[in-house]
Amino acid sequence: MNYLKSIILSLVLLLSATTFAQETATAAVEQEDVAVAQAETMAVQEELQTLSDLVATEEEAGEESVWQEVKDFFMTMGIVRVFDKQEATGDWRQLVMLLISFFLLYLAIKKQYEPLLLLPIAFGMLLTNLPGSGMFHSELWSAFLDPNSPAYHSYGAILKEGGLLDVLYIGVKAGVYPCLIFIGVGAMTDFGPLIANPKSLMLGAAAQIGIFLTFLCANAMGFTEAQAGSIGIIGGADGPTSIFLTSRLAPELLGPIAIAAYSYMALVPVIQPPIMRALTTKKERAIKMKQLRAVGKTEKIVFPIMVTTVVALILPDAAPLIGCLMLGNLMKECGVVDRLSKTAQNELMNIVVIFLGLSVGATATGASFLNVKTLMILAMGIVAFGCGTAGGVLLVKFMNLFTKEKMNPLIGSAGVSAVPMAARVSQQVGQEENPSNFLLMHAMGPNVAGVIGSAVAAGLLLSFLG
Amino acid sequence: MILLAANWSHIWMVTLLGFSLVFLLLVVLIYILKLFGIIMRPRVKVEKPTEVPEAVGAPRRENSEKITLTGNATAAIAMALHLYYNGVHDEEPTKITIKKIERRYSPWNSKLYGMNNLHR
Repeated sequence: MNYLKSIILSLVLLLSATTFAQETATAAVEQEDVAVAQAETMAVQEELQTLSDLVATEEEAGEESVWQEVKDFFMTMGIVRVFDKQEATGDWRQLVMLLISFFLLYLAIKKQYEPLLLLPIAFGMLLTNLPGSGMFHSELWSAFLDPNSPAYHSYGAILKEGGLLDVLYIGVKAGVYPCLIFIGVGAMTDFGPLIANPKSLMLGAAAQIGIFLTFLCANAMGFTEAQAGSIGIIGGADGPTSIFLTSRLAPELLGPIAIAAYSYMALVPVIQPPIMRALTTKKERAIKMKQLRAVGKTEKIVFPIMVTTVVALILPDAAPLIGCLMLGNLMKECGVVDRLSKTAQNELMNIVVIFLGLSVGATATGASFLNVKTLMILAMGIVAFGCGTAGGVLLVKFMNLFTKEKMNPLIGSAGVSAVPMAARVSQQVGQEENPSNFLLMHAMGPNVAGVIGSAVAAGLLLSFLG
Repeated sequence: MILLAANWSHIWMVTLLGFSLVFLLLVVLIYILKLFGIIMRPRVKVEKPTEVPEAVGAPRRENSEKITLTGNATAAIAMALHLYYNGVHDEEPTKITIKKIERRYSPWNSKLYGMNNLHR
């Protein structure tokens, strides 16, 4: 029994000891667990802290990036660019140019001053001066003309980096648009009055004196010879010819010269009559002229071929303009290519006018347009028109000294192209003196002769100064 | 300074020679045009009246009976013709009288007989 008791006691003791040991161990483990848990908690708390810090940072960063995006978007707005001094293209002059474009649009739409060309030109000006639009890059064209630039004479660079108006401007730069317009002009022109009265060609030549006098004036005012030639051609009163010559001789002046040429062409009824009245007497203005003879179809067909051949053989530089003018006229007169003639008069002409107007207007950037030179060009444009008008009128008076059949001096003023506006002015001023006098057809001769004369003058200036 | 800097001899040469050449070229054209005018001027052939021996005592016919059309006469005739043809032109009733054909198929619009059916 004692043995049994001792075993039981030892077992109890063992159990209690084991329990104690277990409890002790458990306590120790618990203590360790607590410590670990505390450490883990600390770590978690630290991680949480780190995470929260990160989240906060990211939130802050996010807020900043949103603000940055808003700011970036704000900075891309055109109105901000105008006033941004760091922006290379930003300039107050752009705002002024926008106002000028609005004014030209008003003149084209409301006053109908040469709206077919003035409207696209004004809108091209509007597009190019909208800050950030990136439609025209004058710096690309500066590089195009710079022999030291890798983009020198590289149309590829223009196509790669240029905007819409840069691409369209290639047609001006290459002299394509003016020639295409001349095809249309030729297809719309009747050279009959000129063929019937070949003396009209003299008046067309005399009116070109405005070009050469203005060339002299422009040289005296400090322009280079090439620039002076381009300014002088405004006196030819022929938009496409002015653009053709200026794009070759002085492309940097293309905007002001094109705008001056087309504006003054629209102002022919205002500029010419006072000069015509000042240089003629009432009696001279009332002179009635003999009816023009009838012109046969064969003559009308041979005329463009003959003029192209003669002019191109004597003056090859005038061949692109004269050739295209006469091609259009031949298509009209021969009568076998009516479809081509109608296309040249309408679709081709209209499409090219849009391209030409937009791209010429695009060159009128604030920096290139708003300067003293533009004002000088505008002033000399009037001189050129006035001298051309006076030259034509005075030559008729001079010719009347030697001829039996007197001519009305008023038709001389039509020698400055501007077809048919200048001829209409002659008719109008003539009818003021004698309502039964019809000078229109007589004035159309010098008028179309002026187109040939100004194209020849442009070819000459190109050959001398190009 | 600007005036001195410019090459005035060249400028004067361009001005005078340029203007003279424009004149010269157009004067050449005048003569060529006159020449063409002489060669190609349209001529109205007026048949001469056959000469009939005139009866003794009959009134003599004047040579001035030749047909001569001045510009004013031509314009007057043209205006008269214009007024005549415009005056007698019927006014359109503005009613469409062509009846729509209900039958959609017709040999006229058949694809079988169209351009694509090339004969080989």
